[in-house]
Amino acid sequence: MNFNELLQDVVQKDTLASLRAVQPELTLCATIIAILLAKILIPAWKQSPFHLTVIGLATAMFVGFPWHGSAAAAVSTLAQPIFTASLVSDSFTTVVRFFLLTFAMLFAAFAEISTDGEDDRTEFYVLILGALVGMCLMISANHVLIVLLGVEMASVPCYVLAGLKRRQSKSSEAALKYAVFGAGAAGVMMFGLSLLAGGLGTAHLPAMAANLAKMIQGGISPQQITILSLGGLMVMVGVGFKLSAVPFHFWAPDVFEGATAEVAAFLSVASKAAALGLLMRLCSAFAFPADMYFHSPIGELLPQASLIAALAPVRQYIVAIVAVLAAVTCTFGNLAAYGQTNMKRLLAYSTIAHAGYMMMPVAAAVALIRVGSDGVSVDGARDAVASLVTYISIYLFMNLAAFAIVAFLRNATGSEEIADYAGLVRRSPGLTVCMAIVMFSLVGLPPLAGFQAKWVMFYSLIEAAHVCPALWALLSVGLLNTILSLFYYLRVVRVMALSPEPLYREAPTIPLTSMVGMYCGLLTAPMLLLFFALDRVLPWAHAAASTLF
Amino acid sequence: MSIFCEPVGLSHYLVVSAILFVCGVLCMTTKRNVLGVLMGIELVLNGANLNFMAFGSPAICGTSTLGLDGQLIALFVIVLAAAEAAVALAIALNYYHTHATVDVDRGNELKG
Repeated sequence: MNFNELLQDVVQKDTLASLRAVQPELTLCATIIAILLAKILIPAWKQSPFHLTVIGLATAMFVGFPWHGSAAAAVSTLAQPIFTASLVSDSFTTVVRFFLLTFAMLFAAFAEISTDGEDDRTEFYVLILGALVGMCLMISANHVLIVLLGVEMASVPCYVLAGLKRRQSKSSEAALKYAVFGAGAAGVMMFGLSLLAGGLGTAHLPAMAANLAKMIQGGISPQQITILSLGGLMVMVGVGFKLSAVPFHFWAPDVFEGATAEVAAFLSVASKAAALGLLMRLCSAFAFPADMYFHSPIGELLPQASLIAALAPVRQYIVAIVAVLAAVTCTFGNLAAYGQTNMKRLLAYSTIAHAGYMMMPVAAAVALIRVGSDGVSVDGARDAVASLVTYISIYLFMNLAAFAIVAFLRNATGSEEIADYAGLVRRSPGLTVCMAIVMFSLVGLPPLAGFQAKWVMFYSLIEAAHVCPALWALLSVGLLNTILSLFYYLRVVRVMALSPEPLYREAPTIPLTSMVGMYCGLLTAPMLLLFFALDRVLPWAHAAASTLF
Repeated sequence: MSIFCEPVGLSHYLVVSAILFVCGVLCMTTKRNVLGVLMGIELVLNGANLNFMAFGSPAICGTSTLGLDGQLIALFVIVLAAAEAAVALAIALNYYHTHATVDVDRGNELKG
């Protein structure tokens, strides 16, 4: 093949097909440029950032999701490695990206309602969209370079968002802490990735796993094991920071308290979903490097089944790290939430705890890859990934609703302390009911969607525990934490409903018929609806899982 | 057969980058001045870069290399480090405006 043919091949076959697959990301980039241009060219159009953001997100959702056709059909048509296999476009990318875009749409509406009257929103929307592009890269990463780029592109705009209230000392402190912690964690992660990529002789994630399998089969020296496991731990530092997993969680409560409730909502949902997507990608690449993620078939390297079988120690290592982190994160988040008096701090610790819950199915998925004499069985692993995707879809509504109510109450009362919510049920009963539903759903009580999310997750953990008995401990930690969390979520509802109203407070009357009330209703409704209509989400969750394992 | 008697090879580069990494992490954890912390982060990133360069060079590690991937990633890391430093310095400047210091320990309004 001469240079000309090579060029033709890359431009015509790879690039054109790849560009079609990244249409949503391109749309987001175009939206960013449009917002910036509109500010210069049409200064009289005050609402331009919001309108353009909504148009851009709607277009991205339209082009990025297979609206015609079933979930099963989407799996086969979507799966392809793109841009010479540095990214991968499969149903996991499509479904999680759709959730992110849906969240961004609801979030834009929330930001517009709650910050009504502030005219300069250009930077806010541009940064949000920029971070979204980075998150889309994170969930489709298939190459070390994309992992680095995605994490940085998702983090750097968030540092600025945390410090958006420039004149407030709390906000600037939050931004500084976030930026310093974030840059440090990203640096450690880059070092870890350099060790992994160098030690394995390639930067393409599935090929790294294939080389690792070859090394394990040919006998691996203790020095190599040390370097590789150190590299793996360092990568977990970076991912753990994005997930706010203990012990890399220090930033979360401070940033959530210092930043506005809007920014906190974005960090708590979008950033976390993308980090879970990245964790899932990394785990799947190293535990089960499927053929479709390679640029060219690797049949000559190793047969698929023996490749997967050779990676068994790697899977044990991943399960051990993720399971321990999940158990510690979950327990610490719930225990620390007890002493909180500030609502945003409480929600920050609740977010940490939920990050722990959502890491459990990742451990379960990796543990459930079984290699027997009759081949590789991945049905259980797919169920576990599907439970993670389902959890993300429900978590999106729960946490956005919680932060939205916090922001609306801040606008009405000027306070984010739980004690100031006392007796709110008398003035705004509708809003209190919404908050109660959200809190019960976060605990996971039936008949709310949060129960379904926990149910599918614990079910996959039980499956995994049959294979790997150590996971029974993780399961019991998860169950115990669910009971623990009941009390501090209930405290908020108790203060709102039962405590007497303080004398000094102005009446924050927010009826459900107002714009704000209707928005809260809109976000709370899915928590009831999804409990009964979960079978609308599950096929897509299973479709998302089916290409990963 | 100590490392000092061999011709310069991959292990020497790895030792230097490991020293850079440790210096950077120490700097990040012990410095109270924001600028000092940011310098520590730069050291860690440069350690990673040195790794990518060494692993990517056929002159250093023979046939099984990262190849151009390693050098490209190093270029990208330089750009990312610059972008991150620009944002972090802007945030530090803003912090200085509100707190009249760049001492991280003075940021103690957020606790709990």
